[in-house]
Amino acid sequence: MKNKIKLGLLIALIASGSMFSANAQDANDILKKMDAVMYSPKDMTGKNKIILIDKTGKEEVREATIQQKGNNKRMFRFTSPSSQAGIAVLSLPDDVMYLYLPAFGKERRIATSAKNQNFAGTDFSYDDMESKPFAEKYTPKFVKVEGDVFVLELTPIGKSEYSKVIVGVNKTNYYPVSTEIYDKGNNKIKQAKYTFKKVGNYWNAEEIEMTDLKKNHKTKMQMSEIKYDSGLSDDDFTVRKLKQ
Amino acid sequence: MKHLYKFLILIVLLSSFNLVKAQDESKLNISGDLLTDQRFLLNTDNDWAWNENRLTLKFDKKITSSSKFYSEIWLRNMGLPSAAHMSDLYNKGIIDPYNLEIRELYIQMYGFLFDNLDVTIGRQRIVWGTADKLNPTDNLNPLDLEDILDFGRRRGSDAINLNYYFNSDFSLQAVYIPFFQPANLPVGIFANALFPEMELPNGMTLKGFSDTLLTPGYNLAESSTAALKFKGFVRGVDFSLSYVWGYDGLPYSSRNVLIPIDMAGGIKINSQLSFIRTHIFGVDMATSIAGIGFWAEAALFMPEKDVIMVNDLSAIYGMPVTIDSLLIDKGKPYLKFIIGGDYNFADGSYFNLQYMHGFIHERGNEELNDYFFMRYEKKFFSEKLRFAPVGGGFIVTDWSDLKNNYALAYIPEIGYKATDDAEIIVSAAIFDGKGDNLFAQLKDYSMFMFKLKYSF
Repeated sequence: MKNKIKLGLLIALIASGSMFSANAQDANDILKKMDAVMYSPKDMTGKNKIILIDKTGKEEVREATIQQKGNNKRMFRFTSPSSQAGIAVLSLPDDVMYLYLPAFGKERRIATSAKNQNFAGTDFSYDDMESKPFAEKYTPKFVKVEGDVFVLELTPIGKSEYSKVIVGVNKTNYYPVSTEIYDKGNNKIKQAKYTFKKVGNYWNAEEIEMTDLKKNHKTKMQMSEIKYDSGLSDDDFTVRKLKQ
Repeated sequence: MKHLYKFLILIVLLSSFNLVKAQDESKLNISGDLLTDQRFLLNTDNDWAWNENRLTLKFDKKITSSSKFYSEIWLRNMGLPSAAHMSDLYNKGIIDPYNLEIRELYIQMYGFLFDNLDVTIGRQRIVWGTADKLNPTDNLNPLDLEDILDFGRRRGSDAINLNYYFNSDFSLQAVYIPFFQPANLPVGIFANALFPEMELPNGMTLKGFSDTLLTPGYNLAESSTAALKFKGFVRGVDFSLSYVWGYDGLPYSSRNVLIPIDMAGGIKINSQLSFIRTHIFGVDMATSIAGIGFWAEAALFMPEKDVIMVNDLSAIYGMPVTIDSLLIDKGKPYLKFIIGGDYNFADGSYFNLQYMHGFIHERGNEELNDYFFMRYEKKFFSEKLRFAPVGGGFIVTDWSDLKNNYALAYIPEIGYKATDDAEIIVSAAIFDGKGDNLFAQLKDYSMFMFKLKYSF
């Protein structure tokens, strides 16, 4: 009898171990597939409309152009409003970032601590704007399936202001549909909703709506005039270009 | 020399050809801002210290995919009406002072002649240095000291500016400025802030003063400034090495003739001022370590010849008597430097600290003072409200007698963005100190400041 119980426990342990392993494997695969959907284009250019909505519903609009190559080179340049037009941010690998302020006439290296800050008054931090694959930033854990969505819990691998991120991934096309961001005290501080649309061969985040739950403030980022794989080179992501 | 002229003409012709060819490729963008800057003293009468109403117009046109035109013009109502005589009332310039200033006006061509060469021709601001606003290596444009609280402001220079990019990490910049332009000095209550009071021998009283400014001759050899900068990025560090063959834009007193005008020791001084050709070797760097931004910048100033001031007392003694003072020994170059850092906190606040040795107007090893500048600010309400409770500087002119040789400038500030285009800035500048230094001389001029800027 005792032996039967031991065997039963052993089988149960092996089974639960395999389940855990399968889920972890699934979570890794799902996250990698999501990264592949988000970062598969070689390069991208487009226009970005940023709508800031305060708790009374009042809206402010900012516009920018965006260029991106791979997942670690990005140029973001404001075109309106007038007070911000010309301000540009160049993000390069290894957390190297430059800010160009036309009023100063020169580029300025940004301290990496700026990644914690909100980007240009939006509810996105520089960190949120980073195009580094999720699989490189987080360790995923499978949570559940909810309708058409896989739900994963992501734990930051390196230093982060967040304790975890809950991400919802579309089961069919593997693009993210939502994220919930938790601070170190495990309080949900921000949430994002994604609207994806296929442009050519790629899925494009047509709109991302980020809500800061503490401030009750929302930012909608809408992409338009998207062009993929137009042949941007590394020379398009240099300080020389930043200043032009 | 003829070849140089031909080359310059060729460049101008080529650029104008490009301009005409591509006139319709892009529209002319006009933007700018309207600024009012009002300051009054915190003394009993609250005298008005500053009145500036400025319209900044920026014209920007992308001519082709590889060239652009840019211009920035200031139209200003500056200062206060200064009518003192009936005749002044006929002069609108006195009653309602205004001026027009072309700050920048240039054409920029990318990939000009060679793919990796960018050329900028015309009036331009060429900003060098990695430090925050206070840059010892930034010496190409003339200092604009009009507003002493606007540290680091310089005017544009008419220049040819070439940037050759070896690759994305390394570049070489060459600048040629044909005409020397001196610094313009502070105005209004700041007029004497940069210059110490004149010391006279015992028993003498200054009753009159005149001066003659000797500017370099306007020819290629005398009036030109030339500069080179090598810039690079290695292992996460931005750096540059630079050299400027230029002028110190602030004049030195080279000869003072003292003339007695009465029997009670009253004298008149005729002073001769001149500008000194200077070699400036610069180095700077910037990086980010553990989230903290670091920068350092140094410039070694080597006057081409000894800077000597001759005091001519011949008229007093009735025989040739001159006293020479060596102001700067060309064999003893002086080093100005700055180191600093900044950090962005998770709560959205920002801290910036800089230590500088040698302010913009200080020359010679003995004259360089130590400055500490600090700023802490935090933004609220989605960055609409910016509050900087800590801002300003601390100066030490003599570490061995600190209590009598220091100055403090406390400049807290609140900025509010009423709309995306309109910002109101309210601040104060409180000065205190002892001894002979910049901010201590301003201690009677603590002020309240109000600015409103509307961008369009």
